[in-house]
Amino acid sequence: MRSAFYLPDFCATRTVFVIVLIAQLVALILTLAGGDRDLDFWIEHARNAAFLLWVALGTICVLCAVRSQLAKLSIARASALALALMVAVTVGISELAYRLGESFTQPGTELGHLFPLEHGPFLLRGGLISLIIGALALRYFFVTHEWRRNVEMEARSRIHALQARIRPHFLFNSMNTIAALTRSDPQQAEEAIEDLADLFRANLNEARAQIPLKEELEVARIYQRIEELRLGNRLKVEWRVNEIPMRALVPSLLVQPLLENAIYHGIERLPAGGTVIVSGERDGDLLRLSVTNPIPTDPHPREREGNRIAIANITQRLELAFPGKSGIETTQTADNYVVTLTFPCIEQS
Amino acid sequence: MSAALRILIIDDEPPARDRLKRLVEELDDCQCVGEGSTGQEALQLADQLKPDVILLDIRMPGMDGIEAARHLADFEAPPAVIFTTAYDQYALDAFDTQAVGYLLKPVRREKLERALKGAMRPTRAQMAKLANMSPAGARRSHIAVRTREELRLLPVDEIQAFIADQKYVTIRHPAGEHLIEESLRSLEDEFNPDFVRIHRGALVALRHIEAVERVADGGYAVRLRGTAESLTVSRRLGGELLRRIRARD
Repeated sequence: MRSAFYLPDFCATRTVFVIVLIAQLVALILTLAGGDRDLDFWIEHARNAAFLLWVALGTICVLCAVRSQLAKLSIARASALALALMVAVTVGISELAYRLGESFTQPGTELGHLFPLEHGPFLLRGGLISLIIGALALRYFFVTHEWRRNVEMEARSRIHALQARIRPHFLFNSMNTIAALTRSDPQQAEEAIEDLADLFRANLNEARAQIPLKEELEVARIYQRIEELRLGNRLKVEWRVNEIPMRALVPSLLVQPLLENAIYHGIERLPAGGTVIVSGERDGDLLRLSVTNPIPTDPHPREREGNRIAIANITQRLELAFPGKSGIETTQTADNYVVTLTFPCIEQS
Repeated sequence: MSAALRILIIDDEPPARDRLKRLVEELDDCQCVGEGSTGQEALQLADQLKPDVILLDIRMPGMDGIEAARHLADFEAPPAVIFTTAYDQYALDAFDTQAVGYLLKPVRREKLERALKGAMRPTRAQMAKLANMSPAGARRSHIAVRTREELRLLPVDEIQAFIADQKYVTIRHPAGEHLIEESLRSLEDEFNPDFVRIHRGALVALRHIEAVERVADGGYAVRLRGTAESLTVSRRLGGELLRRIRARD
């Protein structure tokens, strides 16, 4: 994952190149704007370029050294401090240039006319220009960073949606159930195929960012119906979701994978089966959804890997949908496993 | 013509059993003699019905198919085993390397027919290797003991201790004592870390230890839950025992 801090590593070749390029472009602008009419264009440009190259390299060195400290601050503070450092470096190098000029401006030297004449105004101009260019550069780094991060996040969320797809285990077991039903109960087999088609349609859909809770619960209920055919009366699901708004928006495939886990790791491993409880409650602006399933009292938990992947996946997709405002909690007692999702209740308009 | 092939079907899902049963009944010279839904039932039914072949599902609650097959391999005349599975990538690789028969669900009639003809009895070595390759590991959930009249399956979690006695090992279980022909060494390897060695000839279940007592000569003795008698701990192993008990809490 790309680091959350937007300032690039100033010691990296790429960044050094970008900053030197910016400095050279600024030098060109200054020359084109033309201060000293009595200087040859190329001489003036060479002077400006040389001066700004020192400013650029100085800034790179300072920012490279303090970047790790800046990264600990808030974005606003880090930006202000970086900007202040840039101005300070510019003013410092301007001061050096002025001092250097003083030693050449003694009567009779040829280079004197390349250096600034007034002390204060020169430093002030340098500081102001550096403030403006620095702010623009920081903005450029910020925007590029955000853009890259968005591209990565989108790619990740697409991958996560893919990973959230139904286990092959379920597909083949369902096919086997349907194969059995085609002769013993053709009508039920027909319904099972319709359910399976709906389930896979929901699963194969381009991962839409968010869907109403009603749709997500419907997918989970279809899933439940198919599993009931297979597991018979070993599977019971209790839905306690009457108190939550069905128009609340959630990332797709939020509840169904949790139900799938509850069955795969809980009900299927219990000879007598059990009851999965899906419950939801509203707490002010927050929605809380939880899935509870009984687990075998097996001292050697197996196949936990799949569960962890599913939980990590849901955590990440919730975080993408509600940055910084969602939570996921899992608790395990001797005979129960509970996953609780907490996220803001945003109702579809 | 030979007698019909006697087939036992084990699967935890009723529709899967129904379908297999129907396919078997439709084949010539095949007969379904029983059905069960767990590994434990597979062993009990195999013991009672003496089938020729078992169609054995892998993923079942309680004892899974791989473990059931491992116990079957210890039978005097084990039935041939054909595993059935909907999707188990690891298992298929294991079956191929061990040349064990298996069928993918939904099962095709021709493949079932071919598998039944070529079905083989599981050997101990084969099944032990298979168990080692399975994600559940080689640790059995039950130990099968044969009393004069029946096959009993003792859940390992209920076993209090294994006591070595010359050639045999005695299993201490709340329901009584049983002899098995296994070495204490291999039992220790298999059931580590739930069992701990307290002297050269005894392995006790940590979860069933009620108290560790000091005895007269400065050593220790272990008292197991629900028993009055104490088992002596050897001097050499006392420290290790106390460390393991503390690590559990």
